[in-house]
Parts: sequence; C-alpha cells; structure tokens
Amino acid sequence: MFVYEKKLQYPVKIKNTNPKLASVIISQYGGPDGEIGAAMRYLSHRFAMPYPELKAVLTDIGTEELGHMEMVGTIVHQLTRNLSEEQIRTAGFDTYFVDHTAGIYPQFASGYPWSAATMQSTGDIIADLSEDMAAEQKARLTYDNILRLSDDPDVNDVIRFLREREIVHFQRFGEALRLAKERMDQKNVYFVNPAFDASKG
Amino acid sequence: MENDTGMRPACADGCGTLPECAPLAVPYVPFQQMNPKKYNQNDALNNGTLFPGLNLPFHLKENAPNAVKGPLGELRALEFVLLELGLYLDTHQGDSEAFALFQQYAALEKAGREKYESMYGPLTMAAAAGGKSFSCWIANPWPWDYTEGGEK
Repeated sequence: MFVYEKKLQYPVKIKNTNPKLASVIISQYGGPDGEIGAAMRYLSHRFAMPYPELKAVLTDIGTEELGHMEMVGTIVHQLTRNLSEEQIRTAGFDTYFVDHTAGIYPQFASGYPWSAATMQSTGDIIADLSEDMAAEQKARLTYDNILRLSDDPDVNDVIRFLREREIVHFQRFGEALRLAKERMDQKNVYFVNPAFDASKG
Repeated sequence: MENDTGMRPACADGCGTLPECAPLAVPYVPFQQMNPKKYNQNDALNNGTLFPGLNLPFHLKENAPNAVKGPLGELRALEFVLLELGLYLDTHQGDSEAFALFQQYAALEKAGREKYESMYGPLTMAAAAGGKSFSCWIANPWPWDYTEGGEK
C-alpha cells in the first residue's frame, strides 16, 4: 500500500520558462534511465527477494524513486508554463508539443515512449541487484549530463540533489548485495538461486 | 548477521570496509562503517545526503543551495534525515546509535507534522479529518503548482 504525501521531497521552484531544457529533462521522467524505470525496477525486484533486508532496501528506495518521478515531472511542468507562441516553436520542443501540448508524458528525450524493455526482472538476487546498482550509475550520469546542458540555477539545485541520491542508493544496494551473499553458499554463491531453489537456499 | 562492519580499525569516514578474502566473481561495495559522521538536518537536505562520507558532488556545482525555508522546509529536512537513517539502517540493523537517532528524529517529525498540518492543511488524505471540511485536502496548491510566494 502507498499513501500519498501532498508535498515534494525537495522543493522545486523554477522561475523561468525554458522548453528546450524541459525537452531533455523529460528523459529523467520516462527515459531509459529515468525515475519511472527506477521505481518500476526496484518495486518489481522485491517479489523475488528471499531475505528481509533486500525486501526493505528495494521497498524504501523504490518508494523514494516515486517521489523523484514527481519532482522531475514538476520540473518539466514548471519549465513549460505560460509558453509563448514563439516558445512552442523552440527546436526540440516543437515535436513534443505537437503530441502532448504542455502535458507530462513519460518518454526518452528522443521521443521514444517509456518502455519496460529498458529494465529486467530476472528473479535472481545477484543479477537483479547488479542491475539496480547499474541503474543508479546510469541515472547519476544522466544528471551529470543535465548539469552540463542547463544553466538555470533553479533547475540545477534540484538536479544536484537528485544526482546525490543516486550515489547514496548505489551504496545501499551494494551493501544489500553483500548482506545477501553472506547468506548464500560461501564456496559458490552461484551454486543455487536462493530466490527459486528454496529448499537448497 | 555477520558482516565485517566495525570489526577492525576504523577507516577514514569517506571509506568503508571490505573483506580481506572474498569469493571471486561477485561485486563488492565497501560497507559504510558504523556510526558514520552526519550533517545536521538542514545541511543533509541541502547536500542530498545525511552523510559527509557519501557526499560526492559533480564538478559543475551551482551556488550553495538553501532548500530549508519556511515551515514546510523545516519539516522536509526532518523527514529527509528519517529517510536517510532508514536506508542506512536497512543495511546496518546493528547500529543502535543510529536507531536511537532515528527514534529522536521520528518524534521531532511527528510534532513538526502536526504543527504544520494544523496551520497549513493536511499532508495526507487521512489528515483532512482534522480540518473544517474535506476541501482542505482538495485545495490548491498541489506540490507541482509553485508560483512566486506560493509555498508556505
């Protein structure tokens, strides 16, 4: 069960409209390494996890990612308010505008819609947690690149916060993987899949 | 549960522990040590982490953030510390000092939330029961609706 909190985790207060910047930041909403993908990935990986620490880490980080999805949607929304006739023709934004006006649609910066093909859920502890760690790195570098592309301090303040969260999450997934390994066959952690071969785990 | 956290001489705060001998062909992230250094709640929210040892900014850093403004900012800072401690405790169940801090911040957050909601309206649907009518839940602004001077 999830309970909605009517507030953002970190404030988003963008003064200036900037459709060009919105058209790249939308990738952290529904792009290949964006927040929707992160939340779907972690919240889905939970079901196969046999150990309580892993269920807790994936639940708690996956839930935080839902809050980040809301923050990124808020950034794009605020960057596209009160657009002028000239601004809707901005190269790069016009192709988004024609389909979505100023609505928020989960897509890559390239326009490709959010896809579950960007993620896996393997039912294997080491494979899934390795993917979770990689997902944090990919989101981190996307935020690095947004910081390279943006010169709006109101936007960068929020992006910087979100980027740092990826680093903390990477650390926790790494620790979770080590806790899991300590419970597995010490001579050969690949001898069985404890998420599936229950009697041998 | 056995892990090597805290079992050997402390590393620098930005470093963690690794096993001396470990099975091949699996990834290792160093374990953050028990009782790591912590920021106060305002610095934690501004930096995006409670832990100085995990604060690894990108070189394109903007002017110093000041996210903690007004009653909502103060509540956010408390909740952020709770979240950070919670994620830490997920992998460090044995750190009783961190759990004691979690309990202290949970009490502060509870008091702060009640005060905020009594003045500015509910943060959850259930909390609307404390208002004059259900309109207090429905009312603008919603979190994405920032306009200059619009946030409490």
